[in-house]
Amino acid sequence: MEESVEVRILGLTKNFDQIVAVDHMELNVPEGSIFGLLGPNGAGKSTTVRLLCTLLKPVEGTAEVADFDILQAPVKVREVTGVLPEEANHTLYPAMSAYGNLEYFGRLYGVSEEDLPGRIQELLEFMELWERKDDKAGELSTGNRQRLALCRALLHGPKVLLLDEPTAALDPVAAKRVRELILSLSQKSGQTFFINSHNLAEVQRICDRIAIIDEGRILLTGKTAELREKLQAQQEYRIRVAGDLSEAESVVKSADYVESVQSEVDSLLVVITDPIENNSRLMRTLLDAGVKIVEFAEEEATLEDLYLEVIKGGAS
Amino acid sequence: MARNRSWVVAMADFKAAMALRFVKFGILGLGSLGPIMVVATVVSTVLLLPPGPDYDMLMLFMAPMVSTMLALFSVIPASMISANSFVGEKEQNTLEPLLATPLTDGQLLLGKLLASFIPSGIMLFGGTAVSIVAENVILMSLGRPFTLLPDVPGIIFISLAGPAMILAVVSLMILISGRVSRVYEAYQVSMLVALVLIIPMIVPSFFIGAGLDQSLVWTTYMATILMAIAIMAVTMVLAVKRFNRDTMIRLT
Repeated sequence: MEESVEVRILGLTKNFDQIVAVDHMELNVPEGSIFGLLGPNGAGKSTTVRLLCTLLKPVEGTAEVADFDILQAPVKVREVTGVLPEEANHTLYPAMSAYGNLEYFGRLYGVSEEDLPGRIQELLEFMELWERKDDKAGELSTGNRQRLALCRALLHGPKVLLLDEPTAALDPVAAKRVRELILSLSQKSGQTFFINSHNLAEVQRICDRIAIIDEGRILLTGKTAELREKLQAQQEYRIRVAGDLSEAESVVKSADYVESVQSEVDSLLVVITDPIENNSRLMRTLLDAGVKIVEFAEEEATLEDLYLEVIKGGAS
Repeated sequence: MARNRSWVVAMADFKAAMALRFVKFGILGLGSLGPIMVVATVVSTVLLLPPGPDYDMLMLFMAPMVSTMLALFSVIPASMISANSFVGEKEQNTLEPLLATPLTDGQLLLGKLLASFIPSGIMLFGGTAVSIVAENVILMSLGRPFTLLPDVPGIIFISLAGPAMILAVVSLMILISGRVSRVYEAYQVSMLVALVLIIPMIVPSFFIGAGLDQSLVWTTYMATILMAIAIMAVTMVLAVKRFNRDTMIRLT
C-alpha cells in the first residue's frame, strides 16, 4: 500500500541575498512518521522549517503540509502545524505565567474557550509543569521553558509538528524526557514529526526516516533502518594484536577487499567489503602471516559514519 | 466558542506595554496633562477677568487652543504603545511563534492597531468629557454660566482629526517597527513621529483670532481634519501593503 505523504517539498528554494539557504529541495515525509533532518550548522535546516510554517516565502518551488500549499493556503498550513522554533525556551513571554502563555496561544490557535482550560491542564500535567503553572515563564528553568514551548506547539492538536533542535539547550535528563515525549506522542496520536537536529544519536534513536542536508541541498534520504543496512555493505572491524602493529597493518593492507586501515594505539580499524565472505579470509591471512590476534570484533555501524561520509561528499 | 483573535492580540499587547513602568506613567501623565492644562487655562481666565464682553471674547479665542491641546496629547500615548508592539515581540523573541499562529496579516495588524487606538481614544474622549465637566463645575461654583469648551466645532475636530491622527501614528510605528530591532530605538523614533504628526494638530491654534469669525474657524478645522484623514489613509495603506512576515523574520 502506498504511504500517505504529510509533508511534500517540491523544488523549494530560498536565498538571503547572495546566499542560497535552501536549494531546490525535494522531499516527502510520510504521515505519522518521525522524520529527522540532519545537517551541520548553517546547512539550511531552520530555513526549511521556517518555510514550511510559512514564516518565510520561497523564491522558487513550494511545499504542501497536510495537503495545504504553503503559498496558496498559508493560514491553513499554520492551523495544522505546531512549531517549536530554534532556542524555543527563549520564545515565551517572560512576564506572563506558564498558564498565561498557553492561554494566549490557545486563543490565537482558535482553541475554544470551553476546551482551553482542560487542554492546558492536560498538557501541563503531561509535561509535569502543572505545579508551576502560575510561575512567570521567565522564572522557569531552561528545561521547563523548553517543555512549556513544546506544550504551546501541541495546544491545538496539530497534524504536523515542526521541531527545530528540540533538545539542543537541554541537559541529558531533560533531553531524554523530550525524546520519550515525542515517541509517546507519535504512538498515541499518530502526529507527523519533522525534527531538525545535528544530534546524530538522537535522530538515530527516535527518527524512523532521515535526510541529510548540507548547503541547502538534500544529500541523502531514506528510512533509518535501510540506511543502516546500506552501511552494512561494508563493515568495520577492530583487530587487536599482540606484538608489532605495523607488521599486522602491512599484512592487512595487502588484501584487495580491504577498503581502509587505520591504526589506533594497540589495534587496527579495518573496513572490508562484502564482510560475510571476507571476514574469515582476513582472519586467515593474518594468522597465516604469524600475527597473534587478541581481538577480532565487529564495530557497530552508526549513522555518524554515514553522515560524515555524505557530508564529505561521498553521497550516493 | 473561540475569541476574536485581533482582540486577543490587542489585549495582550496593551498589557505588555502597560507592564513597562515608564510607558504606564507616561501614558497616564500625558493623558491627564491635556485636561489639566485646559481646566487650568479656563480657571485662570475666570479668575483674571470679570464677566463681560472681554471675558466672552477671550473664551472664543481660547476655543481652538483647547481643542488642539486635547487632541495632541492623545497622539503621544498612541505612539508609545505602538512602539512596543512588533519591536517588543522581536526583542523578546516572541515574534516567530506569534507569526506561526493562524493569525492573518489583517488580524495581526488590527490587533496591534486596537492595542494603541482604544486607550488613546479613551484618553481623547474621556479627557474632553472630563475637561468640560471639571471646568463647568469650577465656573458654576464661581457663579459663571455654563461654557462649552471645546466648543461644537472643536468637539467635531477632536472626534474626527484625533482618531485619524492616532491611527496614522500607529500605522507609521508599524511601518517603522519592521526596520528597528530594539524597543529603546523604537521609543526614540516614536517620539519623533509624534512630534512631526502633532504639527497639523496645532494648526487651528494658529488661528486663535478666528474664534471671532466662525466661518474661518470651520474652514481651519475642516482643513486640518482632511489633512489628518489623508495622512491616516496613506500611512494605513502603506502599513498593510508593506507588512511582510518574511522581512520581519529575516530582521530578527
